[in-house]
Amino acid sequence: MREGVTHTVDMSVKLGNLILRSPVLTASGTFASGREFADFVDLERLGGLVTKGVSLEPWEGNPAPRIAETPSGMLNSIGLQNPGVEAFCKKDLAWLAGVDVPVIVNVSGHTVAEYVGVIERLESEPRVDGYEVNISCPNVDSGGMAFGTACVPAGEVTRACRAATRRPLIVKLSPNVTDVAEIARAVAGAGADAISLINTLLGMAIDTGTFRPRLARVVGGLSGPAIKPVALRMVWQVAHAVDVPVIGMGGIMDAEDAAEFMLAGASAISIGTANFVDPTTSMRVSDGLAEFCRARGIRRVSELTGALRT
Amino acid sequence: MGGCACSQPGVPPALENVEVVANDRVASGVGLVVLHAPRTAATVRPGQFVHLRISRESAALLRRPFSVHRVRGERIEILYQVLGTGTRLLAERGAGEEMDLIGPLGHGWEIPPGITHALLVAGGLGAAPLGMLAEELAARGVAVTVALGAPTEERLIARDLFETVARRFETATDDGSCGVEGFVTGVCESLLADEALDLVYTCGPEQMQRIVAAQAAEAGVSCQVSLERLMACGIGACLSCVVRTNEGQKRACVDGPVFDAATLLWDRSEIL
Ligand SMILES: Cc1cc2nc3c(=O)[nH]c(=O)nc-3n(C[C@H](O)[C@H](O)[C@H](O)COP(=O)(O)OP(=O)(O)OC[C@H]3O[C@@H](n4cnc5c(N)ncnc54)[C@H](O)[C@@H]3O)c2cc1C
Ligand SMILES: Cc1cc2nc3c(=O)[nH]c(=O)nc-3n(C[C@H](O)[C@H](O)[C@H](O)COP(=O)(O)O)c2cc1C
Ligand code: FES
Repeated sequence: MREGVTHTVDMSVKLGNLILRSPVLTASGTFASGREFADFVDLERLGGLVTKGVSLEPWEGNPAPRIAETPSGMLNSIGLQNPGVEAFCKKDLAWLAGVDVPVIVNVSGHTVAEYVGVIERLESEPRVDGYEVNISCPNVDSGGMAFGTACVPAGEVTRACRAATRRPLIVKLSPNVTDVAEIARAVAGAGADAISLINTLLGMAIDTGTFRPRLARVVGGLSGPAIKPVALRMVWQVAHAVDVPVIGMGGIMDAEDAAEFMLAGASAISIGTANFVDPTTSMRVSDGLAEFCRARGIRRVSELTGALRT
Repeated sequence: MGGCACSQPGVPPALENVEVVANDRVASGVGLVVLHAPRTAATVRPGQFVHLRISRESAALLRRPFSVHRVRGERIEILYQVLGTGTRLLAERGAGEEMDLIGPLGHGWEIPPGITHALLVAGGLGAAPLGMLAEELAARGVAVTVALGAPTEERLIARDLFETVARRFETATDDGSCGVEGFVTGVCESLLADEALDLVYTCGPEQMQRIVAAQAAEAGVSCQVSLERLMACGIGACLSCVVRTNEGQKRACVDGPVFDAATLLWDRSEIL
């Protein structure tokens, strides 16, 4: 720590044409629409709030048990349970109207038309600042990850969503692929303004007492510190493969983890599973990142992006 | 907060640093941990729970939910059964050690105005969330009858508390070492026939709660149950703890853990 270094750190970051006051976002499905966290977090200090996945019609989600703790992580098979875009507008967006934070709606669908339908419905809602298209959910039978694991469908969904909006369009990638850079190039080429990754890794756990799977749906998505090295590697690969900004996530628990993702090439980062462990994680990481920069004489947090020395 | 349109506004939950005051074994595989937790102690209501971070090691990542059994001044008491990684670590915590919790959480027991006599039916560790309730009912002048069940006499949890506050106290053990030999549901059935009851409160294995709820319904007495679900966030955000009801899917952590048994769609709900 250098003597007398007291400068303030500029925490703002640019994601395409979105200027965020902080690089710290919340990961979809781990923060609902923010309301449940309002007792723990100053939502207005977040760079952005990424909502739970929203679909055209209400989705019931999967049977329980829907989660299982695994070493340094957890499996989930929530299955994108949500009340549909109409209820989302009436309840969640109405509540968010009173909160000054960029709102990025996570969009899910079984078909290209469903993704586009959600965006079309939201275009008239002033409270929406951008979209994150989830083509990487491992917990639904059709759509979801099926779109995100091959270049042609990934490009198709992106192109269709692009045609439906001029708002910032983020596409969220699956780690359950052989070559993530190839998918990243396909969605960037189809008009994505930014890419976020990683969604959960497909996994499984078994109860040896009963010989049964620990998730009712048998398989689910792995998240938390267990996936961080994989996520970091993929963020690094994608940041090299495309020109659009990258939002990194996967097992971020503290500011050091966040700094790693930025050094690997992320312009912003998302806090997911850590919100469950410590609901104040997003604030801790924001403060910690500023301190991380201050201690190193870095004036803008954005200078960390891609600063990896190799 | 939490967007639940419940009749118990209560105080919002908070993150509280707590210290272990004592941690003792009370029966085989069962411990009682006393925590110095002034905020929670001052605000928790019967049937609510806390989400405890037992270890900071990331290997056992998630918090664990536990009912508040009793409050004494600035202290809360938790009865816990040693089952897996988390509860084994909890059993190792000694006086002076620190942890943190989120609490108070959830929608606890409803005490409708005007009730005069309530039956509490507990199976095993199900006695945990009924302790505070028994004390609260007695303090409000409601007559309390308790039916407590366990495999053996040694495992009759919180017997002293219930014996102190209950007007009538019955037990059932699998081996007949104390009270009726057999299940507590048998005791429940005869109490429902014997006594003029306004309400049944129950907690224990879900199969037991289903039987108790059915017996209460048969007797025309309303019944509240406290359900256990696997929980990640504990505050209503992750949807891991769903319960199927006739009003759609509810979250056990904020809409429950206590539910009116008449609203539950048992057939399709998970039994842990
Ligand atoms: C609202 C609520 C209140 C609770 N109150 C109490 C209490 O007062 N005393 C007490 O001893 N336990 C209580 N439980 C259950 C307690 O949370 C679990 O026993 C505990 O989390 C197990 O942790 P573990 O790491 O030891 O076990 P794990 O290794 O996680 O699991 C061991 C076994 O316990 C089961 N289990 C894990 N979590 C739960 C859970 N949340 N509910 C039911 N079974 C579970 C698992 O399926 C597995 O079979 C409560 C649960 C809820 C949801
Ligand atoms: C319970 C849970 C629900 C999730 N729901 C969604 C979702 O609706 N849409 C989505 O794009 N990602 C969803 N995710 C994935 C996360 O947003 C994130 O990509 C992933 O968990 C990795 O980050 P983490 O390790 O920090 O949690 C969910 C993750 C969890 C744990
Ligand atoms: S535990 Fe997360 S919603 Fe209930």
